[in-house]
Amino acid sequence: MVQEIIAFIILLVAVAFLIRKYFWKSKKKGNCGENDCGCH
Amino acid sequence: MSIQNINVALIGNPNTGKTSVFNQLTGLNQQVGNYPGITVEKKMGFCKLPNNIKANILDLPGTYSLNASSIDENMVIELLLNKNDKLYPDVALVVTDVENLKRNLLLYTQIKDLEIPTILVINMADRMESKGISLDIPYLEEHLKTKIALISSRKGHGIEELKNLIVDYKNIPNEPCLNASIIDPEYFKSLQHAFPNQLLYKLWLVITQDVNFLNLDRNEVRSTFTKSHSELKRLQQKETIKRYQFINDVLKEGLKVDHTVATDFRAKLDRILTHKVWGYVVFFAILFIIFQAIFQWATIPMDFIDSTFASLSALAAERLPSGILTDLISQGIIPGIGGILIFIPQIAFLFLFISILEESGYMSRVVFLMDKIMRKFGLSGKSVVPLISGTACAIPAIMATRNIENWKERLITILVTPFTTCSARLPVYAIIISLVIPDERLFGFLNMQGLTLMLLYLLGFGTAILSAYILNKILKIKNKTYFVVEMPSYKTPLFKNVAINVVEKTKAFVFGAGKIILAISVVLWFLASYGPGKNFNEAEAIVIERHKDKPLDDFEFEEAVASQKIENSYIGLMGKTIEPIISPLGYDWKIGIAIISSFAAREVFVGTLATIYSVGGTDNEATIKSKMQEEINPQTGEKIFNFASGISLLLFYAFALQCASTLAITKKETNSWKWPMIQLVLMSGFAYITALLAYQLLK
Amino acid sequence: MKNSIHSLKKGEKATIKEFDIDLVPLKLLEMGCLPGNMVELLQIAPFGGPLYLNINGSHVAIRIETARVIEVEIIK
Repeated sequence: MVQEIIAFIILLVAVAFLIRKYFWKSKKKGNCGENDCGCH
Repeated sequence: MSIQNINVALIGNPNTGKTSVFNQLTGLNQQVGNYPGITVEKKMGFCKLPNNIKANILDLPGTYSLNASSIDENMVIELLLNKNDKLYPDVALVVTDVENLKRNLLLYTQIKDLEIPTILVINMADRMESKGISLDIPYLEEHLKTKIALISSRKGHGIEELKNLIVDYKNIPNEPCLNASIIDPEYFKSLQHAFPNQLLYKLWLVITQDVNFLNLDRNEVRSTFTKSHSELKRLQQKETIKRYQFINDVLKEGLKVDHTVATDFRAKLDRILTHKVWGYVVFFAILFIIFQAIFQWATIPMDFIDSTFASLSALAAERLPSGILTDLISQGIIPGIGGILIFIPQIAFLFLFISILEESGYMSRVVFLMDKIMRKFGLSGKSVVPLISGTACAIPAIMATRNIENWKERLITILVTPFTTCSARLPVYAIIISLVIPDERLFGFLNMQGLTLMLLYLLGFGTAILSAYILNKILKIKNKTYFVVEMPSYKTPLFKNVAINVVEKTKAFVFGAGKIILAISVVLWFLASYGPGKNFNEAEAIVIERHKDKPLDDFEFEEAVASQKIENSYIGLMGKTIEPIISPLGYDWKIGIAIISSFAAREVFVGTLATIYSVGGTDNEATIKSKMQEEINPQTGEKIFNFASGISLLLFYAFALQCASTLAITKKETNSWKWPMIQLVLMSGFAYITALLAYQLLK
Repeated sequence: MKNSIHSLKKGEKATIKEFDIDLVPLKLLEMGCLPGNMVELLQIAPFGGPLYLNINGSHVAIRIETARVIEVEIIK
């Protein structure tokens, strides 16, 4: 039982990390998109 | 006495040994990150100084002047203009090379005009004798209005004196060197009139540069004081001339060069390394050595890591109390960590070679030699650097395109760089090659496996160059062909610099990509260990039912249950759904899952297969490789990893854009979603077609 | 006949004269490519590739297109 609880906590942490990495981040806009900063 | 924190910024031209000064001051006490929102590398370090002062040392990107031509240089200017930035320096160290003092002082005079306390660091003092250079330090200090630290970051000389100067930063005069208004007195007079509280040189930077300036609307300044591009450039030229006049006047007294003493090591080496025949011979020989070495040297520690983790898994399964957590650890987490660590040898080797080439000054010679050839394909000589460092990772390689002046050449370089064989492809290649290419020698000396790997590298370069050629014909972008490359003097790479670079890059991989790989491994393990419905939950009963005529022994029974389970787990069902798309390429559903999950990063491929096979198998001790070797297609009885499917997989991974981070960086660097999307569709479409053709022709 | 950096031979030295600054990148000016300064041609890359120069003590490589617009007076 204890094993199961810990295992699922690890799963939740992993899923949360991946969501944060791939979905959260894409919402935050960098400054670079707004003004021309020598990208060309 | 309390500790006082001060900000110190290191500024300097490229190739002045700025990074060695940084390493000398901070040791291993440094952090590499990004400036918020932009992908300019931010290097911070800490240094304890006398009198209880702690210095936060910021290593700014190398820049030739405050007239920015890249996002990196822009960042430098924005920081220096913004007094409210928490990184705004209390004192700036301008690092110069004693051999190029005249040119390096241009940037110094500009920094000085921002009225930031500035210490002039004259580096490479150890070379003065052999170059016949002598300096009159008191004279220079007086006329450049600063304190000078004469150091040798290579030998570690003068670092203590430099630290003492930093402690004493409040006593450094911060009057400017050049009165900006001499550039155009009338224009500057009206400018000062409109903004009486601002520093003229800062206003001038706001007008000429694309930078944000706090509390001051740049459009306001610009609309009132508009000038044509050509007029502005004329004034910038005038500014440069005035600065050089000032520098020449100071150096006439302060710097003496005895040319009779100077030995010209550079000219001698250049005669060979930039020679029209020998130059190319040397370059290709170096490339050949790098690739051969990486394959041969890196496999030894890689095999060791692979087998160590396989036995660790077995140990965990044996010793820990049985249960779901133990299974997760032995089948998900340990193989996951192994899947990260296995890349360390190759990544470390690649960054080792690349940083040696960069540090020695050789890379610029390659740029010089290759420019004309690369231009035929719509690239620049400077594209060679991204294409070579692309063999480590496409992300820094795409960032390294920033110094290509011509937008079209730069764009094409960004688009084709992901074709070069990055280190994330290596583990995929390595394992598949070892499965499908015989370990035999051709003509008695050419190792076939090594040769295949070499061919894959050439294929990557070849495709990159060829697609550049096609893009060059299709893209209609008119551009001026600006190209200026500094040819630095040759230096023996410093062990400390190279080592720190390799350690930093490897660490960035382990803690960046590594976390993703580990998280994916954990999620995959759960998806492979659970499933919906009766087919999964009643696997034992189904197997007994299926084999009721001829009962299985214990071992066979366990195997049969395990494979029944994995086929009907969540991941198995997902894999089965996409099987029709990938089976023409010769892949089964397990490879399909590995391909999908490896879109996060290619190297996840091996880890995914490792996880799937660990859950599916009963033998914990086998290595990933032997598990893959034993995989058999239940319908045909043939090996899953045979010659045809192996070549098909190799080609797929050579061409497909299996990397979310590359898409993100292309988006950032091109400022639009259009280019990454084009990149994705073209590369992955091409990969699918070639893999399909290869399998159908070879099977 | 007008001479430009492009017309220099390997090892030849010259003094930079006036040129149209719109055709020359600012970075090159900052490297010391300014009227009155010395320039020496050190190496030429094959097949019409870049020119490796010593301009006023700075070692730089530029393309022929740029070299062509920078007028010089050859020092004999």
